[in-house]
Amino acid sequence: MIGDIFAWLGNMENSKPLALILFFSAFVGIILYVYTGKRRKRLESYKDIPFMDDDELDPTRQKKQQVKKDESTNGK
Amino acid sequence: MSTNAVPVATEQYNYGIVKKFAIMAMIWGVLGMLAGVYIASELAWPFLNFNIAEITFGRLRPVHTTLVIFGFGGSALFATSYYIVQRTCQARLWGGKLLPELTFWGWQLALVLGVITYMAGYTQGREYAEFVWPVDLLITVTWVVYFAVYAMTMVKRSQPHIYVANWFFMAFILATALLHIFNNLAVPVAWNSLESYSLFAGVQDAMTQWWYGHNAVGFFLTAAFLGMMYYFVPKQAGRPIYSYRLSIVHFWALSFLYMWVGAHHLHWTALPDWVSTLAATFSILLLLPSWAGMINGIMTLSGAWEKLRTDPIILFLVTSLAFYGMSTFEGPMLSLKSVNALSHYTDWTIGHVHSGALGWVAMITFGSFYHMVPRLWGTTLYSTKLVFVHFWLATIGVVLYIVALWVAGIGQGLMLRAFDQYGNLAYTFIETVTFMHIPYVVRAIGGAFFLSGILLMSYNLYMTISGARQSASAEGRDAVAAAAR
Amino acid sequence: MKHESIEINSGLLIVLTLMVISIGGLVEIVPLFHIEETVEDVDGVRPYTPLELRGRDIYVREGCYTCHSQMIRPFRDEMLRYGHYSLAAESQYDHPFQWGSKRTGPDLARVGGKYSHEWQAQHLIDPQSLVPESIMPAYPWLLESELDYSQIEERMVAQARVGVPYSRTQSEYDANVEQFGQEMADKLHVANGADMLETQAAAEDWDGNPDQITEMDALVAYLQMLGTMVDFSKYEDGHFNQFR
Repeated sequence: MIGDIFAWLGNMENSKPLALILFFSAFVGIILYVYTGKRRKRLESYKDIPFMDDDELDPTRQKKQQVKKDESTNGK
Repeated sequence: MSTNAVPVATEQYNYGIVKKFAIMAMIWGVLGMLAGVYIASELAWPFLNFNIAEITFGRLRPVHTTLVIFGFGGSALFATSYYIVQRTCQARLWGGKLLPELTFWGWQLALVLGVITYMAGYTQGREYAEFVWPVDLLITVTWVVYFAVYAMTMVKRSQPHIYVANWFFMAFILATALLHIFNNLAVPVAWNSLESYSLFAGVQDAMTQWWYGHNAVGFFLTAAFLGMMYYFVPKQAGRPIYSYRLSIVHFWALSFLYMWVGAHHLHWTALPDWVSTLAATFSILLLLPSWAGMINGIMTLSGAWEKLRTDPIILFLVTSLAFYGMSTFEGPMLSLKSVNALSHYTDWTIGHVHSGALGWVAMITFGSFYHMVPRLWGTTLYSTKLVFVHFWLATIGVVLYIVALWVAGIGQGLMLRAFDQYGNLAYTFIETVTFMHIPYVVRAIGGAFFLSGILLMSYNLYMTISGARQSASAEGRDAVAAAAR
Repeated sequence: MKHESIEINSGLLIVLTLMVISIGGLVEIVPLFHIEETVEDVDGVRPYTPLELRGRDIYVREGCYTCHSQMIRPFRDEMLRYGHYSLAAESQYDHPFQWGSKRTGPDLARVGGKYSHEWQAQHLIDPQSLVPESIMPAYPWLLESELDYSQIEERMVAQARVGVPYSRTQSEYDANVEQFGQEMADKLHVANGADMLETQAAAEDWDGNPDQITEMDALVAYLQMLGTMVDFSKYEDGHFNQFR
């Protein structure tokens, strides 16, 4: 039985279905990894990375921007 | 100094290199699109060739493609990738002052040499890879340095997670290196000759070239600009990307599938059938990740649709995604062998390329630059109204262009395969050329619209930057005066 | 392996991305180098003579491939308009290939012999004088520029290095005599390069100017050879279908 499987794997003619199985399972693996379990919160938290730097004109950082603006008016 | 944030940001990040690349992107963009409008006009009014070797269509066409793809697109990618990698990794660009500068001068030198050599008649005769072999070597060195700078900046990041935009840029850098090296393998005629003969011949050479050609589209003009999209759409919209998990699936699927599809440029040729069938199959599959990316970008706006009315930058970004969706639908359709039998060799393909190049690549760049340039110089945009005008000039230009070439391409395809009642060919080739005159005129006008748009943008950005410099120097004077008192 | 470790490890991300983007190209390109299955065995296909080779260089230089294809597809209209569909074997010595991707002008894969030398030269000097509706640029400088063949031997050697059977040694020459016949083998011998080029240029009046070897001579010689190497009357109808 196991010998048969190895024989099948060793046969070059089976490389196409083998590749199909490999890549499809990799794809399914990624989908399962991404969309199952408790990873949702962690993965989705990364979407905030672009907003973590100090961008004085960033609309999400209204407060900071306000502070800066005050400073600039004071400076002038 | 009045604004603390600006000098801090300049110290924390290397913005100098980003500014340089951004300015060159605009200059090459104007020149490349000017060359495009000119060669489009040569097809409509052939007297414009003026019997001058250097400006005939055959020599100017590589000038156009090189300047818009590598000059405008490439410089824009250097600029935005350096900007994004620093800001999402919260780390200063690696390589000190020297290495990023090296990528700048290497890249610009390659472009200048490219334009000169093409017009002088030195070319490898491979589409989008016309650079002669010494310039190819220069590009290789530049690219290796680029890879090192980018990868090392990622390594020394202070943010534990690598934001997905950087994955796309990394895939673009790796794929471009792979494609550039293998497609340009050649033996020079002599060490002191600019000419060379490609290592591969005939069918293998064709396959290598279109593996390169389509992945230049896939990784240079798509993956990298998706990196741009994953940063600038959320930033400009002020809300995070719709689904981060979708972006992970999007990345791996796109990276895997794109490399298979190049052979759809060679349907019905002497390339073995199995290769083009495989390429067509993967081209259809590619629709899924492409649209996943488009949906991810557009849905970022969900709940904030009113911004489309008030913010022309968002308008540019969302419209570019719409064109991306359209051309990634048209692409798989053109890769079907039955459709390709009609469309191949006609202007339909050229129209398709431009719906991607103008509608997607250029528009996402325009939107990103309108967001990024004021931030680089620590100022606000000179005129939002002009951005609206630019948007409409660009959109009208793209639509005219695409529709004209649908008419030209489908029309010519149908005429060439038409038979009369006796089974003879219904039209001679030259009759199809006559038919295409009007569409060619409309195409040139569409291009002129698009060109006038980028000229307006250049003016707007120039005023933005010079305004920032004036206020900075005025502040400097104030500070000196204050210190003197 | 956890996806998380890819996300936080730049090196791993680079390696995996490289693997993922390499697969497609490998699967499609590598098998094509098993030449026997990719390129048919056809009589008559030979490397370009020195003059044709220079003509081809000029074809590449002027960017002719931006408007003309050299690849006829197996459709009824194309076969009526241009001739038998192109075989892989016919471009087996093409470094680089010039199949093209756009027909702003007609396909040129079998343009050889369709028009006279005089027509070709005149058409290149002033296309509209022969085809008034044509949008092709004129190439008058081809007739004025003397052909530079100072490096013809280096060119043939470079071609030999990438696999084209130009002969550098006696044994290579003998093999060419066997395969292409004595007359052609002489033309493909590197040491004879310049002589053979001059002989071929003088043998026929390619450009209407017998006093000088011009770029026009070389380009017309190249065009007049295109698609003429395989004698399709020697093969049964449908013979080549087995290779598709």
